[in-house]
Amino acid sequence: MTTERTTLLQRIVVGAVFVFAGLLFLRHAMPERYDSDFDIAAFVALPVQEGGRIKPADTVARTTLLVIANRTTVRDGDERLRAAEWFTEFALNPARAVERPVFRVEHPEVMGILGIPADERMYVSLAEILPHFDTLRSQWESIPAESQLRTSYEAALAKLRDAIGLYDALSHAYTGPPVLGRADTGLRMLRRALNDRATLDPESEEARTVENALSLFAGHFNRAARTTVLATVPPLEGADDPLAEWSNLGSVLLEATETGDLDPLAVTYAEMAAAFRADDTAEFNSRVADAANLLAARGHPPAGKIAFEHFFNQLSPFTYAAVVYLLVFLAAAASWTVWPRVFANTAFWLMAAAFAVHTFGMFAHAYLMGRPPVTNLYTSAIFVGWGTVLLCLFLEKRFRNGLAAAAAAPVGFCTLIIAYHLSFTGDTVEVMRAVLDSNFWLATHVPTVTIGYSANFLAGSLAIVYLLRDRLFGGLPAPSARLIEGMVYGVICFALLFSFVGTVLGGIWADQSWGRFWGWDPKENGALMIVLWNALILHARWAKLAPPTGIMQLAIVGNIITAWSWFGTNMLGVGLHAYGFMDAAFFWLIAFVLSQLACIAVGWLPRLRLFRLRPEPVGPTGEAPPRAPGDLTAG
Amino acid sequence: MKTIHQFFSSIRLTVLLLAVSTVLVFFGTLDQVHYGIFHTQQRYFESLFVVWSYPVQWPGHELLGWIELPLPGGYLVGTLLVINLFFAHFRYYRSGWRKSGIILIHAGLVLLLVGQLWTQLRQKEYFMWLAEGESNNYVESFHTDELVVIDRSDPQRDRVYSWPVEAFSRGQTELRHPGLPFRLRVVGYAQNAAIFPMEQGPPNTPDLNVTRGIGADRNLTFIQIAPTFREGERNVTTALVDVVTPDGPRGRWIVSNVFRQRDPMREFFPRQTFEVDGREFEVALRFERRYLPEPVKLIEFRHDRYPGTDIPFNFSSEVTLGDPGSDDARRALIYMNHPLRYDGLTFYQASFAEGDTMSMFQVVGNPARWIPYWSTLIITVGLLLQFGLSFISRFYLAPAGAAAPAPRPAARQSAAGPVK
Repeated sequence: MTTERTTLLQRIVVGAVFVFAGLLFLRHAMPERYDSDFDIAAFVALPVQEGGRIKPADTVARTTLLVIANRTTVRDGDERLRAAEWFTEFALNPARAVERPVFRVEHPEVMGILGIPADERMYVSLAEILPHFDTLRSQWESIPAESQLRTSYEAALAKLRDAIGLYDALSHAYTGPPVLGRADTGLRMLRRALNDRATLDPESEEARTVENALSLFAGHFNRAARTTVLATVPPLEGADDPLAEWSNLGSVLLEATETGDLDPLAVTYAEMAAAFRADDTAEFNSRVADAANLLAARGHPPAGKIAFEHFFNQLSPFTYAAVVYLLVFLAAAASWTVWPRVFANTAFWLMAAAFAVHTFGMFAHAYLMGRPPVTNLYTSAIFVGWGTVLLCLFLEKRFRNGLAAAAAAPVGFCTLIIAYHLSFTGDTVEVMRAVLDSNFWLATHVPTVTIGYSANFLAGSLAIVYLLRDRLFGGLPAPSARLIEGMVYGVICFALLFSFVGTVLGGIWADQSWGRFWGWDPKENGALMIVLWNALILHARWAKLAPPTGIMQLAIVGNIITAWSWFGTNMLGVGLHAYGFMDAAFFWLIAFVLSQLACIAVGWLPRLRLFRLRPEPVGPTGEAPPRAPGDLTAG
Repeated sequence: MKTIHQFFSSIRLTVLLLAVSTVLVFFGTLDQVHYGIFHTQQRYFESLFVVWSYPVQWPGHELLGWIELPLPGGYLVGTLLVINLFFAHFRYYRSGWRKSGIILIHAGLVLLLVGQLWTQLRQKEYFMWLAEGESNNYVESFHTDELVVIDRSDPQRDRVYSWPVEAFSRGQTELRHPGLPFRLRVVGYAQNAAIFPMEQGPPNTPDLNVTRGIGADRNLTFIQIAPTFREGERNVTTALVDVVTPDGPRGRWIVSNVFRQRDPMREFFPRQTFEVDGREFEVALRFERRYLPEPVKLIEFRHDRYPGTDIPFNFSSEVTLGDPGSDDARRALIYMNHPLRYDGLTFYQASFAEGDTMSMFQVVGNPARWIPYWSTLIITVGLLLQFGLSFISRFYLAPAGAAAPAPRPAARQSAAGPVK
């Protein structure tokens, strides 16, 4: 569309923006390098079974750190450990790992229990927690079971309790429990005892001593077997059965005390850990390779998938897309002050690039789940942003003036931030409960409804751009105003179609599965509210009951209703669609509603001019504005 | 007349009703936290008026507890919407294919609303618990109870006389039937009750003078307590009944649905029977039953979990329909998203218990279940016509030169509001 000539300065600035985006992508796509000769990448690429599926240890490393520390790196003094480095140490050298400050404590009074000044830091180590464990335990007893009833202090306590529980449940995945106080000697002693039992005269005094020692070991192994949720030893046969259960190290060792046979994988893990603690990099690297070979020989089925998941984790496509969406918004906003057409084009192409990575990430995640793209709240957040950007690309492709980009980029950015925070609850590639087990309906009803959310957010966001520019920045030029009105109208028509069809498909799914079409379940009601509201806006517009400003305000109310339908209904904890109360999200929902109400109120302000903005290029080279898509009242 | 017609046909009314519907659905969702889905549904969507009040559980109730919001109920809003639609149709109708989408959308909507009304009036929800190897020829209601007298004098088959409890919750106390040699007099009724032995009650516990059955054997009494509307909880519906023959009263029984409950892990109480004219009768208050033409038998319940977790991977129940001994019994597998349709009812896998040996089916009867399919098909076609065709024709099929058409006529602009 650009026919005007660009200046050298413009080319340099735009080029720099794209070079930055490209370099950032390379940084994401290149394999992580660690400041160590230990082959940490190979260690975290080893498969494990956790949460009902097989995944690389890398996923466990990242999700665990996200849950307990709410970030993917550990800062310990000047040292900075990435998730994989922290996890390797946690798994193989637990005595050192307990000193790492990984537990995020979110309340000064909880810090007070630990005897740490609250304004000093937010992260504590297990070593700092353990001396106060009895005090903590007595406090845990008074936490209400229902999360809605907890105070912020109790919520922080519960969070710490759950984090310590998770830490404990992942311990002893590669190293056995410390027997007789020493982790290093455990395996050697066990092997010697097993060897003695096989050779000694069963009646002898020594044999009885050996038996006593073995039963002592068995007690420790038994506890580890019961508490460890991270299974690292696949069965020797039946690897192609998706329900085949892997063993954790504790139960493998426990079995060895009975049968006398020690699984070679357990031995390899122990040697690996010993080499790690002895700082013997060559030995460690060769043992990791051994373990990888042993695991491969047992034919755990998705070897390629494990490697792909490791790559996907490192790429973190959604983080990249979020950063670039921020750039898109900046470029679009810049187009209102300087170089309108150049920056509008920049915004479009940046958005296309971010969208490509976003799309790849979404389908990669779906491939890892073995499910259609939207299956839980996390994936719905990914999809809502994706849908909004997709719709925006259609608008920008036609109008290329940065208006839709300025509206959609914040939605894309915010939904990805929401997704990131939702990942604090654990692995986002979840196995699915049997109740939702229907790929056909997951692939039809859910994306259709979710695209409806996307369209509503895009309409609401366009309306915010309209009102803010019109009221705070000295009035919107008539062609731009008419263009946005048309876009909002078209997007709401689209939203109504998709919300309605999606809601109805949900009803059909419900009838097929449960024998009732409509159950007044909160999530169903939320979808109905969106449909009703979209219909209301369209009728108000057709009958000219509200001026454009009023229609824009109604579209922003649509944002509130969509957010309610998406998140608010889940917070009620009622009905078949309830996937758990999210107390932290409640605060943000209220904050969002207030922000939207503020934007609506802007529509009633007298026209101000906080800053002078340029009119955006509407239509190619000074032509009149294009007519809105789907505008039925015209012509 | 003209103003009434203008009022009912105005799009202003449509917008108002849509706004009211949105608000109604919102508060009808909020109240589910405190009243459960079923009760809220009745209050908000199956009513003419409803008053929302500031929930006691919310913060600041001491100050804001007086806040109340009266709203028209679902039946009123739905009716007004349909009336509005009819009037508007005749006021604004213009022939031509461009408007065919609008007509289809609105016709489908009317059908959808009527279907929902029919469903709400006629839909019944039941459940059925079966242990492996067990069979049953009835399903039980989730929400309603019945008072029954069962004539056991015929060894081949029982004869059941049933009265819904709503009858005597409205004050009807004399229950009689030509087939019975006695009448029942309901002298006490509690929608939800606490039943306990007299000696465990506070000093002024009322003595109900129960002379027969479980109540007499265990010296029980009951008091009325607030009904529960929570999801998954059920009221202990209880009544105090006298059996009165022409010769005089035969005694007083406490009947309660907890006495007849056969959920897993609940105590079984003995049946409360008595004789009149040499015929044996049983009196009971129980979950309302619907009998099936043939018994359903659970052969096997299966339940797999994801490895190392308690997350269900699948559930399935293998059942047979029909006389379990005969060869022509029909086999069926009920599993997630694959319910069994039988005798106008839909049986779907809902729960399980007792170490995966008992299975619960939720059973729904909805005579209007096909209406949403037809109405949504009509509406979807209408929406596609309305938005899709005009979208494509304007957005893509417009010739390149017309991609940026001239500004709309000035009249349109002013009609759409001031344009600056």
